[in-house]
Amino acid sequence: MSLSRRDFLIRSGLLAGGLMANGLWARPLVRKAFADIGDRFLVSLFLDGGNDGLNTVVPIANGSFATFRASYELLRRTGPGGLRLEPSVLSPYAIDNDPPTNTPLALHPGLEGLHRLYQLGKVAIIQGCGYPEYNLSHAVSRSIWETASRAAMGPGWVGRYLASRYGASQIPGLSVGYWMAGEFRQQVTSVLTASRLSELQFPLDDWYPDDNSAKLSAFQAVYASAQASSQPLLRYVGNSGQATLTATQAYPTLDNLYQTDRPSWLQQYNNLDTGTARRLREIAKVIYGVVQGVPNITARHFALSNGGYDTHANQGTVGPNQIHYRLHREVGDALEVFYHDLDDMGVADKVLVMIWSEFSRRPQQNDNGTDHGSQGPVFLVGGKINGGVYGNHPNISDSRVLNPGATWDGNTIYSQDNSDPHRSTDFRDVYGAVLKHWLAIPESEILSSLLQLDTGDPTQYWTSPQFDFVHPVNSQPLFLP
Amino acid sequence: MGDENTVLGALHARHLLRRTGFGARKSEVEAFAPLTRGAAADRLTNFKPAKFRPAGRDIWRRRVSWLKYMVRTRVPLQEKLVLFWHDHFATGYDKVQNHQWMADQNRLLRLHCKGNFKDFVKAINLDPAMMEYLDTFRNFKEQPNENYARELMELFTLGVTDLAGQPNYDQQDIVQISRAFSGWGWDWSRNRVRFNDWAHDYMSEYGAERGPKVIFRNRGGFGPAGRDFTQPGGEGPQEISQVVDILFEHRDSDGKSTVARFITKKLLEYFGHPLPPYPDNATIIDRVILRSGFDVTWDLRRLVREILVDDFFYETASAPPFASSTPKSVVWPVDFVVSTLRLLRVNPRSDKWGNWYIEGGQYGNVPGYLADMGQILFEPPSVFGWDWEEGWINSATLLARYAFARDVAMARGTKAYHLRPQVLMNLGLTAPGDIVDAVTEVVGIRDYLTANERQALMDYLGGPLDLNDPDVRYRKLHGLFALVLQMPQFHLH
Repeated sequence: MSLSRRDFLIRSGLLAGGLMANGLWARPLVRKAFADIGDRFLVSLFLDGGNDGLNTVVPIANGSFATFRASYELLRRTGPGGLRLEPSVLSPYAIDNDPPTNTPLALHPGLEGLHRLYQLGKVAIIQGCGYPEYNLSHAVSRSIWETASRAAMGPGWVGRYLASRYGASQIPGLSVGYWMAGEFRQQVTSVLTASRLSELQFPLDDWYPDDNSAKLSAFQAVYASAQASSQPLLRYVGNSGQATLTATQAYPTLDNLYQTDRPSWLQQYNNLDTGTARRLREIAKVIYGVVQGVPNITARHFALSNGGYDTHANQGTVGPNQIHYRLHREVGDALEVFYHDLDDMGVADKVLVMIWSEFSRRPQQNDNGTDHGSQGPVFLVGGKINGGVYGNHPNISDSRVLNPGATWDGNTIYSQDNSDPHRSTDFRDVYGAVLKHWLAIPESEILSSLLQLDTGDPTQYWTSPQFDFVHPVNSQPLFLP
Repeated sequence: MGDENTVLGALHARHLLRRTGFGARKSEVEAFAPLTRGAAADRLTNFKPAKFRPAGRDIWRRRVSWLKYMVRTRVPLQEKLVLFWHDHFATGYDKVQNHQWMADQNRLLRLHCKGNFKDFVKAINLDPAMMEYLDTFRNFKEQPNENYARELMELFTLGVTDLAGQPNYDQQDIVQISRAFSGWGWDWSRNRVRFNDWAHDYMSEYGAERGPKVIFRNRGGFGPAGRDFTQPGGEGPQEISQVVDILFEHRDSDGKSTVARFITKKLLEYFGHPLPPYPDNATIIDRVILRSGFDVTWDLRRLVREILVDDFFYETASAPPFASSTPKSVVWPVDFVVSTLRLLRVNPRSDKWGNWYIEGGQYGNVPGYLADMGQILFEPPSVFGWDWEEGWINSATLLARYAFARDVAMARGTKAYHLRPQVLMNLGLTAPGDIVDAVTEVVGIRDYLTANERQALMDYLGGPLDLNDPDVRYRKLHGLFALVLQMPQFHLH
C-alpha cells in the first residue's frame, strides 16, 4: 500500500514543499490524509433483472442537437399500458443535460430520494454503460458484469482486487444476502455472506453449554490444520470456516452497538420496511463498527442486490402500485437514509456506492412492459463524488431503434467510436475509474491483472481505457480529491 | 496408472461409492474393495431406471418426496445422475408454477439418466416444464422467442465455444432454431403438448423474409451451405427432432464431436473435479469418448462406466499428505445431507403439514437447511444450474452445514428418529483414539485425517470415556459426531 499512499499524497499536494518535516504528524490534516487511503468503503448495489434505463434517466424535452423527447414519445406510449413519463411529472426531478446533445434529462419520479442526493451534488450518473455484442441472457450478461470478462468466467472483478490485497485470515468484505455476490467471488481471502448480521451464529449444543469451549477449540484445531494444507480446496474450506467462526464471534455484537448508539437511524431504515433498506442497514452497522474500531470488524467492501427489474409486463409509470416506481422508490429512499446516516457518522466521504444492472431494456415498449435491452446508466453515489451527468445518452433516435425490423432487435447501437457523438461507455471504464481513483490502484496494475482489454475493432471493442472521467460542466474529475 | 482391470482396494472403493452414491458404509466398502474398477463400474451402472415420480400435492411435498427417495434408494447412482441432469437441464418451479410438470420432468430425467443422450434431448424438447421454463410455449411465428434455442445450444448440447475456444454457433443459428420450435402449446383439455399450425413459422409464409431454415453456415463443420433442418422430415414435430440430429453432428474446430466432448467434460467434472485447461482437458475427454464410443452410440451408461474406470476419476481419492496439485471437489449440499442421514441412519420425522424435520433441530424442515446451504431442489438459481465447487462455500452456507451437522448429531428425538450410536459402533470402546477411529470410520473420512487432526479430536474427548453412561455419550460422543460432520474433509471428495 505504500505506493498508493504516496500517490495519494502527491495528488493531494501534501508531499510538495517539504512537508515531510518534523512535527508532521502533529498536523491533523496530514494525519487524516495518511489514514485516508485504505480507509475507504465500497458498496456494490445490483439491480437484478435488467433496469429500464430509458425510464430511469428520461429525456424531458428535445435538446439542441437531438430530438430524444420526440423519439421517446414514439417509443413509449400513453394510455393503458403506456410507459411514457410526462414532462409535468418529470420536471421536479430534472438533472443536468445530456452532454453531447444538450437534451434536458430527469430522473424517474420514484428516485426522489436519489434526486435529493443528486441536488446535494453526491450522485454521478454515467449514461450508456455496456459492452459490444450485448448478451440478452440475464445470467450471462450478469456474469459479464460481475467478472468484467466478455467470456463471463473467472473470479469477480472486486474479488480479483481483494485477492491481490488481502490474505486468507482476513475478512475484507460482506455480501449481504443468501449468495456470495458474483463480483466478490475468489478463493484467496474471506468474504462473508449473510442477509442479517444476527444470522452469523455458530451452532453449538444448547444441552451441554459447558462443553462448548472444548468443541470450539477442537473445531479451530481441525480448521487450522486445513488452513495449513497445501491442497488448495481444503485450504479454502479451512479459511472460510475459520473466518466464519471469527465472524460469528464479532459481527453479531454490531447489532447491539448500532441499536444503542444510533437508534433514530435504525428507526429510519426500519420505517422504510424494504429489503434494500434492511440490507443497507446491515452494511451501515458494519461501517459503524469499523469506524468505532470494534475488534475483528474489518469488512470494507459490500455487495447487495434488489430484484424485480425484469419488467416484461406491467412495468407501470408513477404511483405506489406501479412496479418500476416501487423499485425506484425502494432504492432511492434507502440510499438517502444510508447516505445521511454515513454523513452523520462522519464517513460519507469514505463511502462509494455503485449501482448497476446486467442490462437495460428495449426502448420500444411492448404491450405494457419492456424486453431485454443493452446499454444503461450506472450510478455512483458518495461524499467524494463530483455529481452530474457523464457519458452520452444512448441514441434512441436511430432508425434501427425507432423501426426495429428483421435485422435488428431495436436496441440502441453500442459504439466505442470516438467520432460518434453518442459513443457508449464500456462498463469496464467505470470499474477502472473506481479501482484507480477510489481504491488507488495503479493503472498499470489494473490493466495487467484486474481488467482485461479486448482485442479487435476499436470502434466496437474496449481497446483504449478511459478511467479519468471529467465533469462535462465544471471540468473537475469524477472523484474529488 | 490403472485401467478397468485394476483392483480397487478399500480407499478407491470408498471413493467410488461416495462419488456414485451418498456416503459409503463399511460393509459396502468391504464388498467392493476386491473388485476391479471395471467390474465395480458395471455393477453400479447396470440398473433398470425406476419409474419413481416425486409425490405430493405441492412443490414442497414433492421436494421432500424426492429427498426421502434419495435417502432410501438402493440405486444411489441413479439419483446422483438425476441430480446431475436436474442441474444440466435446469428448470425452476419459480417460473414454471406447476408442480405436476416438475415431477413429470423428474421422472423423465430418471428414465433417461443413463440412456441414449440424443433421445434424451429430444424428450427434453417436448417436456412441458422445460417448454414453460424456457418459453417454447411462448414462441409464435409473429413473436419468435429465442430462449430455448439459445440454451439448447449453449447449455444443453454444444456450449458457446469448443474446447479450443472457437465459437460453436452465431446469433443467426439461434434465430433459425427458434423458428423450428415455434408453434408449440399446451392442450389443457387433453393435458398434453400440442403443435399449433397457426403459430408455426412455416417456410412458405416467411421464406422470402427470413430466409431458408438453415443452420451452421459459419460453424459446425458443414461448410457455407450449412444444414437445412426442414429436410427430410418436413416442418413441425419432425423439424425439432431434425434440429437435434444436426446439433449432434456438430464438430469442434479440430474435427471432434462437440456434443460428445461437451457432455463428457461435464460428467467428468461432476464425478471427478475441474479439468485442466485446453489442450490437457482434451486428452482426458477424448480418451474416455474413444473407449466408450459415446460420439457414435450416445450411450450414457457406457460413458459413465468409462469415466468410473478412468485414472482421472480416482485422482480426488488420494489421502494426506496432499501435494498442492492434488485435486479435490466440494460435496454438493444435497449429497452432504443425504449422505449424513444414510450414514448415521437418522430418520427425520414427517408431519401432516408435509414437513420433514430433525427432531429438536433448528429448522422445521430438511429442505430449509438445504436452502441455506444454497441448494433448493426444483429451484436452481438460473438456467445455468448451480455454481459448483467453491460456489457452494461461503459463511452462510457453511453455517447451515454446521447447523445441520449439529442438529443431526445432537437432536434428542424419540424412538428411531434420532442418532443412535449403538447401531453404528461398539459402545464398549473407552480409549479416545479408538472412539475417534470408530466415529471417523462410520462417517467415512478416517483415511483423510492427519495425525494432528486425529489428535485434536482425541483432545476433545479428554480421557477414557464410559460410553454406556448416557450423559457421557450425549455430551461427548454426540459432540464428536457433530465435529466430525463439520470437518472440511467431510465436505470434500
